[in-house]
Amino acid sequence: MSANAVQQAERPDQLEEGVRAGVRDLILALADSKRLLGMRYADWTLGAPELEAGIACASMAQDEWGHARQLYALLRDFGEDLERVEHGREPGEYASIEILDEPPAEWADLVVLNAIVDTALSVQVESLMDSSYQPLRQRCEKLLDEERFHIAHGAAWFRRMAATEGGRRALLESAARALSVVMRWYGPQERCAALVDAGVVGAGPDELRCTLAGRLGPLIELVDVKVSEAPDFDDFDAGRRRSGGSAPSPRTVEQVRGDRNRAFLMD
Amino acid sequence: MIYEVFARKSRGEPLRHIGSLNAPDAALARVYAFNTYDEERWFDMWVAPREGMVEVFNVDHPVQEAL
Repeated sequence: MSANAVQQAERPDQLEEGVRAGVRDLILALADSKRLLGMRYADWTLGAPELEAGIACASMAQDEWGHARQLYALLRDFGEDLERVEHGREPGEYASIEILDEPPAEWADLVVLNAIVDTALSVQVESLMDSSYQPLRQRCEKLLDEERFHIAHGAAWFRRMAATEGGRRALLESAARALSVVMRWYGPQERCAALVDAGVVGAGPDELRCTLAGRLGPLIELVDVKVSEAPDFDDFDAGRRRSGGSAPSPRTVEQVRGDRNRAFLMD
Repeated sequence: MIYEVFARKSRGEPLRHIGSLNAPDAALARVYAFNTYDEERWFDMWVAPREGMVEVFNVDHPVQEAL
């Protein structure tokens, strides 16, 4: 399909029905992932190996939560109740990247989230730079601009740790798992065909996997992890972009929803 | 390693020292400077290792050093 044949859309009702559901799922997958990633960064504001790294985590947490907020807000046009989306969903309704379900146990795991998972999210956001769905396209540039220093932080720490034998060992297992999860997170190629045809995304899952592998290549080779660009989609819930039945831990969801202190809201 | 951080608000304005930070290398020093000192709208920002700075006054034996 030629570029000028793509219909631009400002509202969900201007999207074809099948495309509309796909755009809604995509927005939720990005928003939920950024919400949880922000929480994982915030967890390391205290306890990072140096004060400056803690400050970096606080800054990245703020960015991710801001991005999640902006993305959730786009769901209002799809008829979603934002109060319910942000504070009323059960763990099984979250569409976040699976590896964020539990807090990273070690600093090496956080570095892997930063270098690999955050970058995987940005590769997906980049595919929306020329999106025919304008509310998404309009937000991409600012999001990606703020992400530049996330990638720089993740890459610098990954290199720093990979330079020692102990650090490399600590990264290895975590990086292998993160890579296989994010490669799968982009979803099956055929599932995305309607969004590509409608110009909502500029690249399908296979192209995103290839872009991510290329971008992370210089880091991955430092720890000698094999990257498979052909994930196994058995038991994959394509709507939530994660294994069927999997969900963030109850404690995680309780934290992101702010359950414990909601009672103090007076309005 | 300690890095000193310099910035200015507009083109042509002199760089001014706005703080310092600890970082193992220039790559992380850039990130840390951005995260720590980006509360204002700077035109540009620079980091330099403190050990690269040379004191001009207040050195113990300027004459001997000169020789």
